[in-house]
Amino acid sequence: MAVDHCSLEIEAGEICMIVGPSGCGKTTLLNAIAGFHDITSGRITMDGEVLCSDDKPKSTPGPDRIVVFQNGALFPWKSNLENVIFGPVMQGKLARKEAIEKGRGMMADAGLSGVEHNYPGEVSSGMRRRVEIVRALMNDPKALLLDEPYRALDSLTKSVMHEALLEIYYKNKVTIFFITHDLEEAIFLGHRVAIMTTRPCKPKKVLDVDIPHPRDYSVLTSKRFRELIEETNDAVHEEALKAFQAGEKEG
Amino acid sequence: MEAAATANGAVDGAVAALRESTPFGDASPGLLARVAAIARAARYPAGARIYSAGDDADDIFVVVSGRVDHVFTPEVGAREPLKRMTRGGVFGWAGLLLGQTRRLATVTAAEPTEVLRFDTEALVALLESESLDGGRVMERFAGMIQREFTLPAMLSQVRRLSGPLTEEMSSLSLTMYRLSLWLKSPRPYLMVIGFALFLGFWYLAVEVWKLPRFREMPGLTSVVKEWVSPNPTYGLSLYTEEYYQHIVVSVWRVTKAFVLATLLGVTFGLLLGWSRTFKDYVFPVFEMLRPIPILAWVPLAIVMFIATESAVVYLAFLASFFATALNTMLGVESIDESYIRAADCLGANRRQVFRHVIIPGALPFIFTGLQISVGVSWFSLVAAEMVSGQYGLGYVINTSYMMVRYPTIIIGMVTLGIVGYVTSAMVRVAGDYMMEWRVRELALSER
Amino acid sequence: MKKFLSSPAFWRGAASIVVFLVLWEIGARSKQWMSPEFFMPFKELLGAMGFKKDYLPWIGAVPAPSGVLKAWIAVLGQQGYWQSWYMSMFRVMGGFVAAMIVGIPFGLMLAVSRVAHGVGFPVFEVLRPIPPLAWVPASIIFWPTQELAIIFITFLGAFYTIVINVLGGARSIDVRYFQAAQSMGSSNWDIFRRVILPGTLPSIVVGSAVGMGITWEVVVAAEMISGGGSQQAGVGGGLGFFIWNSYVGGSYEQIVVGMISIGIAGFISSELLRWGGRYATPWLKAR
Repeated sequence: MAVDHCSLEIEAGEICMIVGPSGCGKTTLLNAIAGFHDITSGRITMDGEVLCSDDKPKSTPGPDRIVVFQNGALFPWKSNLENVIFGPVMQGKLARKEAIEKGRGMMADAGLSGVEHNYPGEVSSGMRRRVEIVRALMNDPKALLLDEPYRALDSLTKSVMHEALLEIYYKNKVTIFFITHDLEEAIFLGHRVAIMTTRPCKPKKVLDVDIPHPRDYSVLTSKRFRELIEETNDAVHEEALKAFQAGEKEG
Repeated sequence: MEAAATANGAVDGAVAALRESTPFGDASPGLLARVAAIARAARYPAGARIYSAGDDADDIFVVVSGRVDHVFTPEVGAREPLKRMTRGGVFGWAGLLLGQTRRLATVTAAEPTEVLRFDTEALVALLESESLDGGRVMERFAGMIQREFTLPAMLSQVRRLSGPLTEEMSSLSLTMYRLSLWLKSPRPYLMVIGFALFLGFWYLAVEVWKLPRFREMPGLTSVVKEWVSPNPTYGLSLYTEEYYQHIVVSVWRVTKAFVLATLLGVTFGLLLGWSRTFKDYVFPVFEMLRPIPILAWVPLAIVMFIATESAVVYLAFLASFFATALNTMLGVESIDESYIRAADCLGANRRQVFRHVIIPGALPFIFTGLQISVGVSWFSLVAAEMVSGQYGLGYVINTSYMMVRYPTIIIGMVTLGIVGYVTSAMVRVAGDYMMEWRVRELALSER
Repeated sequence: MKKFLSSPAFWRGAASIVVFLVLWEIGARSKQWMSPEFFMPFKELLGAMGFKKDYLPWIGAVPAPSGVLKAWIAVLGQQGYWQSWYMSMFRVMGGFVAAMIVGIPFGLMLAVSRVAHGVGFPVFEVLRPIPPLAWVPASIIFWPTQELAIIFITFLGAFYTIVINVLGGARSIDVRYFQAAQSMGSSNWDIFRRVILPGTLPSIVVGSAVGMGITWEVVVAAEMISGGGSQQAGVGGGLGFFIWNSYVGGSYEQIVVGMISIGIAGFISSELLRWGGRYATPWLKAR
């Protein structure tokens, strides 16, 4: 049992951060929303539409909620630009020419102009992340599901990525569902932070982050930020300890 | 007012500033260190003119701190003549444009400003010496100039770097570059030593020292003499037509078998990997037949196919087929689930996933399988030819033995080796060509 | 086990095996149940392709599974059959063990020393495309006994695969293992024994499994060629020779019996190898 009695409501256009120790089941939750995993009971809805329920345990993956994967899932055999235009072209929403134009524009906005014709294997991992996010946004999704996307990056690149993500968010206002084990990342980025228990996971504590948007890195040293961390650190640490003692393998 | 940047701290600071500029943002630490090493720091008080339009375009500037106002002359035709730049801003790049030797803008320091200056030619030379990285930096210069400086396209043609660098590294230039690296390493010379040892031992053991067992073998000199003689004792040499007939026959058989096996094997393997149902039905029978050595089929093949020609090709085909199908299947099964999931999220239907994810994703495995398949094909062909058949290299080897024409045996073996190697290399090259992305990825991760 | 037996995968597989056997049976007996009149319209077409017989092409000439089964039961009682098994197994094991004894150290040497690699690998790569069977005559000339000649060919077949896999395995050992060992003060010999050797074991195991398959191919072919090629009675033997003999003697059912026997023998030896491999690399199970 990976998730039990988990109940969560996410507002449209908000950044909802899910924090929990490794292996606690948060990725399973994301997979259920995305449609990669069956649910055994319960219901997940988006904008009132039922994604999956007791009758229909598996939701159909689709471009309304796009996942950005932990280890990156840019197709290595396509150039960055080809990756970016994949969604609209496959769905037949845009002709190839228009898709290329739009893709070029979005990549430029994200500071990726020079690398359109490179393959993902040739550029840095930070750039790959940004390309993947642009690829998702090209489809005007309602929600972005991010599964610890910055886990493998060093903390310097990470902080730059955070600001880049926020910039993209301010321009596009999608709903963001972000899984992480990093409490600071969660409080920095999110409107709300849900701290999950270890397996089986459910929300232990939900925090409203009342630091106003738009935010920049100066928030990290602000008083309110530190206060919020103090409030939640114990809860996170408690669960981490439990997970450690249970000997969880990497989730 | 200039100061030379020599201290280590200054270099670190230079690297940090470079990192924030568009062209150098993603360059490797090695390249950045080298660029920083040729940087000269300079300081300008507020209001100072850094250069005027029409001056010689000698240095490229990167802003470390402060702010500059960069104003294009009206002749340039920029959409927005004024551009303000702070830390990470790059200006003074006119020297990079085709046919430009003069400044296009006037630049003044709006606040006390610190910059790094790079001699344009020195920087270009440095970038040329760093194969892939340097090319990327130039690409980004081009992108930056077009985008951030709103110049009309005609004017912003950036010089192409000469030498092994172009805007896109083609596979050919990659190969040439690696070839030149190889020639400079000790490896070719060790290789010569290895061959010399091997051939030397063969020569000495058979013809000079006449070691027991070895003296019965055909010697190096007799083989070589036979091979290159216009009038060979045993009838086969580089000069005889019959030699090439045998080669052609064997190669043609392998080609037929290989092509058929590839078409059927890849299709079969893709289906096995992609459809669970298909695999459930078909794989058990497949796995039952596979362990039977191909050569155990020889008598049965002779019985089944009246003509020995078809029997021989069938055997080579069978061997290839199993290898190809299995490797293709493994290739499909080993594709990271995330790629398929990502494609699903992005709205691709099953057929599109198959075409855009499965096939390219399995391609590396398929080509490895194909290389094995070629080898296996030759293996089976030779055996089949040795047992039955009237032409071909296997037949040559067998009959040469029967008729006590020992040097010809070796000629046959060596020819087989060469032809086998060439066909295998052809498959590999075809694979590299089709999977350029992988070649580049591997080149960048070479230890 | 129970779960497997009741799964759809099992039943589908079983069903297709049955279908396969039935089709085989029907096709093989086409001589008997297909009257010549049935073939009249096809005769010209088949004749153009070179088939002039009165039954289905290819499959019609193959002995039927029922006949094969009968022949097999008959042969199980003959000592010659089991002796063939023994001889082939002996050659396979002999050649294979020899290939491991020579191949693993050779491969490790090439992997560890750049100089050795530069000298040895090109020669190795040039000799590799020459099919082991092409070495048969040379081998027979060189070795005093035919037995040794066959084992040498078997050795060659497995040798190449094992060396390639050792090299591949050594190259893929994570650099960090070396760095960890060095930072803990290991000598070069220690690093070899405790990092390189265990690190290459998985590849050696995989390579051996593939090499085993190739070894069987080679043994069978060598047995057929030398046993069938030379007219020396009593020499040769083994399952390959059994097959060839059956062909020459005209008992086609026995050909298939021999083929299946070799398939089984090959499977058994591969499994033995996989067992041994699992024993030598217990840490792989945890993945």
